[in-house]
Amino acid sequence: MAVDATLALIGSGDPARFDMLHFASTSAPYLEKQVAAVVATACDLPRQVAVADFGGSLRAGVSALRLALDAVSAGTSRGAVVVAADVRQAEPGSDLEPQLGDGACAVAVGREGVVAELLGRGSVAEEFTWLWRTDDQRYVQLADARFAATYAFARDVPEAVGAALQRVDIAPSQVAKLALAAPDPRAAADAARRIGCSPHTLVPALAAEAGMLGTPEPLVLLSRALETAAPGDIIVVAGFGEGAEALVFRATVALATARPVPAAERLAGGLPLASYAHWLRSRRILPLDVAGETVPPYIAWKELKQDLRLYGSRCTACGLVQYPQARVCQGCGAREQLVDHKLAKTGTVFTFTLDNLAQVPEHPMPMVVVDLDGGGRLYLQGTDCGEGEIDVGARVVLTLRRLHEAGGNRNYFWKARPAS
Amino acid sequence: MKDQVAIVGVGCTKFGERYERSYEDLICDAAFAAYADAGIDPADIQAGYLGTYLPGPGGGKSATSLADALRLYGRPITRVENYCATGTDAVRNACLAIASGAYNVVLVVGAEKLKDRGGRGIPRLGHPLLARGNTAPGLFALAANRYMHTFGVGRETLAKVAVKNHWNGARNDKAHLRSEITVDQVLAAPLIAHPFGLFDCCPTTDGAAAAILCRRELAPRLSRRPPILVKAATLAVETGKPYFDPTFDYLGFRSTQKAAQAAYAMAGIQPGDIDFAEVHDCFTWTEISNIEDLGFCEKGSGWRWVEEGRTALHGDRPINPSGGLKSFGHPIGASGVRMVYECVVQLRGEAGERQVRSPRLGLAHNVGGPGAVAGVVVLGNA
Repeated sequence: MAVDATLALIGSGDPARFDMLHFASTSAPYLEKQVAAVVATACDLPRQVAVADFGGSLRAGVSALRLALDAVSAGTSRGAVVVAADVRQAEPGSDLEPQLGDGACAVAVGREGVVAELLGRGSVAEEFTWLWRTDDQRYVQLADARFAATYAFARDVPEAVGAALQRVDIAPSQVAKLALAAPDPRAAADAARRIGCSPHTLVPALAAEAGMLGTPEPLVLLSRALETAAPGDIIVVAGFGEGAEALVFRATVALATARPVPAAERLAGGLPLASYAHWLRSRRILPLDVAGETVPPYIAWKELKQDLRLYGSRCTACGLVQYPQARVCQGCGAREQLVDHKLAKTGTVFTFTLDNLAQVPEHPMPMVVVDLDGGGRLYLQGTDCGEGEIDVGARVVLTLRRLHEAGGNRNYFWKARPAS
Repeated sequence: MKDQVAIVGVGCTKFGERYERSYEDLICDAAFAAYADAGIDPADIQAGYLGTYLPGPGGGKSATSLADALRLYGRPITRVENYCATGTDAVRNACLAIASGAYNVVLVVGAEKLKDRGGRGIPRLGHPLLARGNTAPGLFALAANRYMHTFGVGRETLAKVAVKNHWNGARNDKAHLRSEITVDQVLAAPLIAHPFGLFDCCPTTDGAAAAILCRRELAPRLSRRPPILVKAATLAVETGKPYFDPTFDYLGFRSTQKAAQAAYAMAGIQPGDIDFAEVHDCFTWTEISNIEDLGFCEKGSGWRWVEEGRTALHGDRPINPSGGLKSFGHPIGASGVRMVYECVVQLRGEAGERQVRSPRLGLAHNVGGPGAVAGVVVLGNA
């Protein structure tokens, strides 16, 4: 999801304009291995990039954003990507489980094309037990939601926001949009009133449609605010967890022609799952035995550009774009005249099958031959496909997924999902 | 090579789930039958070719797998592997060895023990990330879907190939599957890889077949059987990764086309001269594509031949009179040699209920990879 969000952020722009990437999550796939580096490589950022993983708290996304803003402001970064992602799982069958959700949000920080300008910040930190997960717990643990909302959220968020506004001499009545990641809508409305804002300024959360997203939530609410904010609007973003962290922004004139993609659009592409068992298998709660061979680190390293950055080769003699990378052209046979060619991540299905024999958790498993826009043909697994969505001529988008876990590691590769 | 090599003896085991026979047992069963058929002494064998795709716990790697099974020591033996064209390629190598003048009498054995490793289908080898999730039916299904989309063909037509081959296999006591089936049964079977259902796919099978080849002039001295002459034995190799080839149309296989063209040139014949053919029907669609790629009919019209019954046992171009891979299964290394066995039996006029009327020229074809390597052998009466 972090890769998907970052690729969407970069779009057709040049990833080389970023020299910093911050990744935030409370559910990172690794406890020891830098996820920010995986994301940076898959998104084809330059090798000379400053990376950091942020975690531990639901406010980590806001912290990651604050530090990136500081770096750009101090001149130690030309441009930074801040991406938060979470896959949140409570005990299967618990009340908490359906309240939690998954998501990712990426924010570009820089000095040009600014749509929201940072004015100030405030932070409160104090130990408080609300949600947690120790290093040997699989599921998110909850103490008491009402207790946390009343005795922590209701105090910490208004204190952090109040301090932020006061430092930059902005009255609460001047705040146009309040993006608060809250335990529930009542707590959000209560905090708004304590801050001195009308509940009408609250940016609606996605709790009903997507659940509580975790570290990405404050960033998603910021994005939502920017969908409709007018230039000059004061926007406050706050994250909560063991205290609270707030950032105050002012929307710029540039926002009018650079609106983020509406969150509602992202929600519209949902796919109903056939069964709860399908859900449990996809979360690896029910054991899976997905066939795969260990990826030797020597092969992973040697093929990094081809497999993760997704480069093919282009023949300088005849122009044919081909994959995998080659030294002899598939088309004209020219030797050692091929150069690196970055493949597009959109294409059209040339042919396909739906395989019930493949050793994967859910059947049928789509396998597709895709002709990528701009050249190159790929054969890979399909994913997130509803019935009939994969057919000759269908448009697909490439997404980075966990292909298998042979060798006890997360082995990532690209899959194709329907473009709609 | 044409008319320089004769086949003087053949043998074939029962194909099926042969848990009670080891890999070496199957080699012995097939080879002993070939020795008896030819009436030769194994001491006369000067060289050997073993076709096995997947070595297993019982053997299959290196020349020693054949040498140890038959105690054929002190001779040059080569183990051949070329995906599904392993069998026809083993025969081709034996023919080249004889035509070169290096050897007079050569044994070819194709043997495969797929069932001993358990599981479904054939294990997927290859790169740990690229093309992961591919299966044998899935890879051929890519072509079937594109072909059906392009020529407007439905699953019912594919089903008729399975029905025909089961009908033939029901009359062959060596086949794995020996029951007649209907189109409705084929369409109702569980889907394996769209559009292939269970009955569109050949079964997973154990089996072995053997042939004794010699220099044509020596045939009357060596054996009491009437010799069957090798008119051509060819191999063509195309990309093993057609799914990464942006110019591939997925409507048929260049390797089959090229191996067939080379075979007809070597034999000095036209495709229409072939009286019957054992073609590689790993899946129902593949048989349709094969008869087009072998030049029997235009690309995109093979399906009409099926609908019109022209490929049936008593049609005007019998295809897979043995019952094909559909009835025999596909013990990979054995299939090509089994096809040669069937061609020899047909050309000798000894096929009983499955006899093709007065054949003069027969063809054996394998394609594997999929589409990467194809072998064609053309046999005829002296």
